[in-house]
Amino acid sequence: MAVHLVWRTGLFTWIRRAAPAIAVGLGGAALLTTVLTAQKAPATGAEVRAILEKKCSQCHSQALQMGGLDLSTREAMLKGGAKGPAIAPGNAGASTLIHRVTGRVAPKMPMAPLPPLTDAEVAALTEWINAGAHWDPAASAAPQAKTAPTPAGYSNELRERAFTETETKWWAFQPPVRRTPPAMREERWAHNPIDQFIKASLDAKGLRPAPKADRSTLIRRATLDLTGLLPTPAEVQAFVSDQSPDAYRNLIERLLGSSHYGERWGRNWLDVVRYADSSGFEHDRDLATAWRFRDYVIRSFNNDKPFNRFLVEHLAGDELPGDDLDAKIATAFYRIGPRVRFREKDNPFYRYEYLDDIIRTTFQGFMGISVHCARCHDHKFDPITRADYYRSMGMFFGFVNYDHPLMPEDKVREWERKTSEVMRAALPLKQEVAKIEAPYRKALFDAGLAKLPDEVQAAIRVPAEMRTPGQKLLAAQFERPATGDGDPNFMGDDPVLAQITTAGQRAPNLIEGPRTGGAMRRGPELVKVNEADHARRAALLARIAEIEKQMPPTPHAVEGVRDGDYRLAPDGPGDEPSPGKTYRPDYPDLGKAYLPEPGSKYEVPWVRFGANGLVVEDDNKAPVVPAGYLRVLTKDRQLMLAKPLRPDYTSGGRRWALAEFIASPDNPLTSRVIVNRVWYWHFGRGIVATPGNLGKMGTAPSHPELLDWLATEFIRQGWSIKQIHRLIMNSETYQQASAHYDSESANKDPDNIHLWRFPVRRLEAEAIRDVILSASGKLNLEAGGPPFFPSIPPSVREGYRQGKWLLTKEEPATWRRGIYSYWKRGMKYPMFEVHDQPDQNVTAEKRNITTVPTQALTLLNNEFVLIQARHLAERVVRDSAGATDEDRIRALYRIALSRDPNPRELERQAAFLAAQRGFQATQSRPDPALAALTDLAHVMLNANEFVYIN
Amino acid sequence: MTPLCDNRESNRLEGHRQGGRRFISRRDFWFNAGMGLGGLALVDLLSRDNLLAAPPPTTAGQPACGGQPIQDSPYLAKKPHFKPRAKQVIHLFMSGGVSQVDTFDYKPDLWKYHGVALEGKGEIRVRQGYPGPLMKSPFEFKQYGQSGSWVSSLFPNLATIVDDLAFIHSAVGKSNDHVLSHYEWNTGSILMGFPSVGAWVTYGLGSENGNLPSYVVIYDRRGGPFSGPTNWHAGFLPASYQGTVFRSVGDPILDLSAPPQHMSAAEERRRLDQLNWMNQNHAEQHPGVSDLSARIASYELAYRMQSCAPEAVDLSSESDETKALYGLDNPVTEPFGRQCILARRMIERGVRFVQLYSGSIVNQNIDTWDAHSSIKDNHTMHAAEVDKPITGLITDLKRRGLLDETAVLWQSEFGRMPISQRALGRDHNPGCQTLWMCGAGIQGGQHIGASDEVGYKAADQIVWNHDVHATLLHLLGMDHKRLTYYFNGRHMRLTDVHGELIPQLVKA
Repeated sequence: MAVHLVWRTGLFTWIRRAAPAIAVGLGGAALLTTVLTAQKAPATGAEVRAILEKKCSQCHSQALQMGGLDLSTREAMLKGGAKGPAIAPGNAGASTLIHRVTGRVAPKMPMAPLPPLTDAEVAALTEWINAGAHWDPAASAAPQAKTAPTPAGYSNELRERAFTETETKWWAFQPPVRRTPPAMREERWAHNPIDQFIKASLDAKGLRPAPKADRSTLIRRATLDLTGLLPTPAEVQAFVSDQSPDAYRNLIERLLGSSHYGERWGRNWLDVVRYADSSGFEHDRDLATAWRFRDYVIRSFNNDKPFNRFLVEHLAGDELPGDDLDAKIATAFYRIGPRVRFREKDNPFYRYEYLDDIIRTTFQGFMGISVHCARCHDHKFDPITRADYYRSMGMFFGFVNYDHPLMPEDKVREWERKTSEVMRAALPLKQEVAKIEAPYRKALFDAGLAKLPDEVQAAIRVPAEMRTPGQKLLAAQFERPATGDGDPNFMGDDPVLAQITTAGQRAPNLIEGPRTGGAMRRGPELVKVNEADHARRAALLARIAEIEKQMPPTPHAVEGVRDGDYRLAPDGPGDEPSPGKTYRPDYPDLGKAYLPEPGSKYEVPWVRFGANGLVVEDDNKAPVVPAGYLRVLTKDRQLMLAKPLRPDYTSGGRRWALAEFIASPDNPLTSRVIVNRVWYWHFGRGIVATPGNLGKMGTAPSHPELLDWLATEFIRQGWSIKQIHRLIMNSETYQQASAHYDSESANKDPDNIHLWRFPVRRLEAEAIRDVILSASGKLNLEAGGPPFFPSIPPSVREGYRQGKWLLTKEEPATWRRGIYSYWKRGMKYPMFEVHDQPDQNVTAEKRNITTVPTQALTLLNNEFVLIQARHLAERVVRDSAGATDEDRIRALYRIALSRDPNPRELERQAAFLAAQRGFQATQSRPDPALAALTDLAHVMLNANEFVYIN
Repeated sequence: MTPLCDNRESNRLEGHRQGGRRFISRRDFWFNAGMGLGGLALVDLLSRDNLLAAPPPTTAGQPACGGQPIQDSPYLAKKPHFKPRAKQVIHLFMSGGVSQVDTFDYKPDLWKYHGVALEGKGEIRVRQGYPGPLMKSPFEFKQYGQSGSWVSSLFPNLATIVDDLAFIHSAVGKSNDHVLSHYEWNTGSILMGFPSVGAWVTYGLGSENGNLPSYVVIYDRRGGPFSGPTNWHAGFLPASYQGTVFRSVGDPILDLSAPPQHMSAAEERRRLDQLNWMNQNHAEQHPGVSDLSARIASYELAYRMQSCAPEAVDLSSESDETKALYGLDNPVTEPFGRQCILARRMIERGVRFVQLYSGSIVNQNIDTWDAHSSIKDNHTMHAAEVDKPITGLITDLKRRGLLDETAVLWQSEFGRMPISQRALGRDHNPGCQTLWMCGAGIQGGQHIGASDEVGYKAADQIVWNHDVHATLLHLLGMDHKRLTYYFNGRHMRLTDVHGELIPQLVKA
C-alpha cells in the first residue's frame, strides 16, 4: 500500500469499491460489518434488522421462537406466532409488533431485563412498516456475514439434530438392569454375587481361577488397598493366627473403620476432581484454602457419606438449606481447577475456559461422558450436541467466586454488616489521607518526568489539546499510570465490597502508614512530607486505626462459589479497561450487583449459544440458550428446578437441579461410573477399562451384567461406597492369589481381564512414599490442615520460581502422608512426578503406570529414601527378637513384606549381610553392622515385592 | 484418523517393551515380532538374560555411552511413518518475547513514522498499560549473504550464516500472556496440561540411546523459563516421555547419584546385585507379569545412566578451538555456549529432542527477553549472550555432518509491538513473530511469509504453532494426523484438528 498512515480512510474507501468477500479475506470482518450497516438505507430494512437483532432476536429468532414467533425474516414476521402476524405492511397501527414494543398491548416487549426500544427505534419500525416493510433479500445475507468465525473456528449458528436409534439405544444410556446372579455349584463361588458373575465368565471362557491367597498376602493386600499403609507385624501375626471364621471379614471391617481409609480413597477422588493447591498458569498462585476441600473429601470417605449427597455438595453445596459448613466447603470444587487469575474481567474468554473445565470435570468425572467435546462441534461419536454443551453451561453459569466464611449464616450476615459499617466509617478518612498525599504524588511524578526521554517530556509539556496523536499516546502512558497491574492484592474501586467478598484473606490497607521522619512510601521511592501534612496525615491514620479496631475478627473461610453476576466482580489485578474501550460490553441482561441482595429474586446471566468470550460483541448476537439437561438422557424434558428455592437466599437453583439430575437413581451413568471406578481402584482395571468414558470411544464392559448389578446394588445400599468395598473385598475373586500361573489361562487371557488371578499392581506415587515411611516407622500421622512441603533440592525451585513453595529439610515435619503434601501445578514434587502422578489440570481417568530409569534413580539415590533406609535398619534392630542376622532378616521381612522369609531367602540375605559387614568395615563406616543392615533395608525399599500390591 | 496405538485398554507402559505387547495392538506386536503367543515366556527369559549383560563394549573413538540402545531400553527407537528428513531436534527457545522488528524483520517505515500513532488496525491490545506510538528500532539493519537477508546489529555472528537459515516472518499466536504462549508453542494448546512437542516426538520415535533420557532440557543458568516444567511436560502421555532437565550444578540429572555420606558407588553396586536377585525371585512367582521384569530392567538402565550422563556433560575432551567456537572463552557467551555445546553432545549421543532456553524468570525483567522497559538495553544484553553460541552450534553441527539429520528451530513465545511502551520498551505481540529453522535439508536463505508494513501483524502466509509442529513432525518422518494417543475419550494429537505443512520447508 502506498499510503501507510491513513489506513482507516484508505481501507474504508477501498472496501466500498470491493466485493465483500475480498474484504473478509483481508481479515477485516469487523470492519466490514460497520461499513455495510452504515451504507444501507432504512428502506431496505437493514436498520430495522439491526434493531430486531439487538432487541428481539434473543427470544424470536430462527433458533429460538418464543411464542412461536421468529422475527428474523419478513416472511416469518408475516407468518407470525401464536398471537398472529407480527406486522401488517403499510399499517403500523395494526401491527402487533408495534403494539408490543410500545406497550399498548401487554406484556410490553422486550421483556426485562432487556432494555426497551428507544423512541427513535420505535419510530424507525413504524416508518418501515408504513412504507410497506420492504426487505431487501440480498441484504439478508449481511447478518450472516457478520458472524465470521473467530480464530478458534467457532460458529454461532444454533442447530439441533435428531439422534438415531443406535445412538439413543447405547448401552450406557439405558438404566442398569439388575439380573439374578448365575447360580454356582461350587461352594467357594456360590455366595457372593460378584463371584457368581466372575466365575460364570471364567467358566464361559474356559479359564481356571487361582486358589485363595495366603493369610499374610491377604492382610497386606487389604491393608495397602484400603489404607495405603503397611500392616504392622503384630497385626499380621494376629490375623494369621485368628481361627475365627469371621477373621477376614473382621479385618475388612477394622480397615474400613480406620481414619487412614479416607486418606487413601480420598486421594483417588482428588484425582477425579483435578485437585491441586495452586492455580497454575503464569502466577501459579497459592490456593490458600484448598486443603479444606481435601480434608472434606477425606472426612466424607471416612464417614461413608452417601455418594449422591457428596456429589450434590460438590456442585451445589451453597444452595442447600441449612448451615452445613461441609456443603459450603464442597463448592471449592469449582475453584481448585487451573485458573489464570489475571486480567479475567478484561479477558472474558478465561471464564469460558473455566466453565469448560467445570463441564469436563463434572460430566467426565461423575458421569463418564465427554460433553466438553461438543464445545465447538457436535460430539463426533456420542449423541451430545453443541446445544447440549451450552444448555449444560447454562446450568453452571450463575456461579461467582465467593469465599464462604465458615460460620453459621446469621453470624456471617452479622459479620458482614459490622465489617461494612466499620469500613464505611473509615472510608472518608482514607479519602482525606489520599487528598493530603495527592500533591506529593504529583511531585513524585514530576520528578520522574525529568528522567524520561526528551520526546516524552516534550509530549507531556505540550497542552493536551495540541498534541499529535502520537504525543497523546506517549503522554497517556505516563500521565495515567497503570493501577494494580500485577498486584495480587489490588481489589479495585469498592474496597468495602471487595473485602467482604474475600473474607479470610482481607485485603491489606492500600496505603502504608508513615515510616520514619514523615516520609511516605510509594514504590521504591520515599518522599518527604512537610510537618503540617505529616501531622494531619498521622492523625487521620491514627483515627482510621482506632475505627478499624472495631473490625470484627476475620473468620476462617473457604474459597468456594455462590450465585451472582460475574460481570460485576470486583476488579482483580490488571482489570482496568483498555483506553477507548467501554468498561464492559453492553450486556442486555446485566444484573445489579455482584452478589444478589437477599430477598430479591436472582436471575442467572444469559448463556449465548457458541459464546466463548473472545469477541463479546459477537457473543451477544448469538441466541440465548435455555439451561437444561443432556437431551439424550431426558428426551427434551424441560428444566425443572429440583426443590423450592430457599426464601432467605438468592440463588438460581440451577446447579442444585443439575446436581440432583446427576446424582439421581434414574441417571443411568452416575452409579455405573462410580462403582466402575471403585472396581478400577481395587483391581487396576475397570470393568469398563476407560473409567472416564462410557461412550462410544470408551471400551466395552468386560462384565456388563456385573457392572449393572453393582450399580443397582450401590443405590440400593444408599449410595454407600463402603458397602461396595465390603462386597468386593469379601469376594473370592478379590481373595485369589497373584502368585499363580496357569499357561492355558495365560494364553487365553494374557491381560487377566477376566480375573483368573489377582492382578499385581504397583503402588501409586504418594503410596510409595507413604509405605517407605510406614516401614521406617517414621511416618508422621498428623492428619489434615494446611499442606506441608516435601523437601526438594533448591536447584529444582530455581527452575521454577513462581507461586508458593517453602524449602524444607528431611525431618519429621515433612514425613507426613503424601495426600497432605502441597500439590503445585507448575512444579511437582519430583519423586511423585517421576512415579506417574497425573496431570491435575484435567480430571484423571486413571493413573499411568510407567517404568523408567529415573524412577530407579529416585528410589536408589534420593536422600529421603536413604534416610528412611537407615531408620528402617534401626527399627529392625529395635524390633527383632534376637541379635542374630536371621532374627534381623526375619524382622525386616515382617515389617516390609508382612511375611517370614523362606529358608532360601534367609540364607541368601544372611550371606549378603555378612559380606556387607566385611565390606563396610573396610569403608570406615562408624557402625559396620548397622551399615550392612542399612544396605539390606535400602534393597528392601527398592524391591518389587515392596512397592507392589501382591 | 488412524491411531498410532490403542492404549485405551491399559494404562501400563512397560518400559522395555513399549513398542510391544501392550502399546501397539497385540496382534501387531506378534506380527512384528514374528512369533506366536507361546513366545511370551521366552521373550521374558531372554530379556532378563540380556538385562544382566555387560554394557556395550567400547570401540575405538566411540564411548560406550554413545552406542545404540540396548534391547530393553525404554527409549527403544521406533519406526516413523515414512522416510524422515531428520532424526533429531534442537529447539532453541528465547523466553520472554524477541522483537521481530529489532532482529530479522526489517521495517524501514518505523524510521519514517517514528512517534506517529498507529491507526487503522483496529483496537490495539497491549499487555500492560496503554499503547504508545510507532517506534524505530535502536539497531541498525544490513543485508547479508547470497540471500541478502536483513539482520540487525544484534546478531553479527548469525548474520554470517543466514544462507543456512529459513526465516518465517508471519508466525502468530493466540495469547499475549507469556505462559499461555509458552504452552501454545511448546504443547500446541494455550491451556495447561498438554504434552510438549518433545514428548510427542519421543513418544513417536523413541531414542537412539537407551542410556540417556530421550528428551533433554537445558535451561538458562540463571533459572528456568516462564511456566517452568510445564514446558517439557508429558501431559497425558506416559511420564517416560517428559523432558529431563540437565542441570548446570551438581549431578546433571536429579538423583543421578547418592549423597556420598549416605551411599558410595561401591555400596550401590552391591545393593543393586542383591536387589536384582530379590526381584527375579519375585518375578518368578508371578510369571507373565511384564511390569515386573520391566522394573528389573529399569534399575540396570539407571545404573548405566549414572556413568553415561556425566560422560555426556564432560567437556574435557572438547578442543580449545571448539570451545572458542561456542564462546566458552568469554564470560558473556559462556553460559549459553555451554548449553549449545551440550546440545551438540546430546545429538551426537542419539538424544532425540534437545531443548535449550535463554531467559530465566528468577529475575524476569532483566533475565528474559521481555523488553518492556528498554528494547535497546534488554535485547543488546540477551542477543550478545546467544548470538555467538548459536552460530557456533550450527557451524559445528554442519562441519560434523550432523546438521542434515538435525532439525533446528529457533523461536520465542511471541514477537513484540512496533509501537513503544513508555517510550523505550515494546509490549508483547502475539500477532507477529519471526522464527527460523535450519538443518534437516531445509533450504536456507528463504524468507517465508511476511508481516505488514510495520511488523504489527502477520500479513502473508500466516503460520500457526500447529503448522510449525506439523512441519517438524513431517521432517522427522511422522504424519501429524496419525501420531495420536487415546486420552479421555479422544485420540489426541499434537496439532489437535489443525496444522498445515509449510510447503517451503518440506519441499525436497
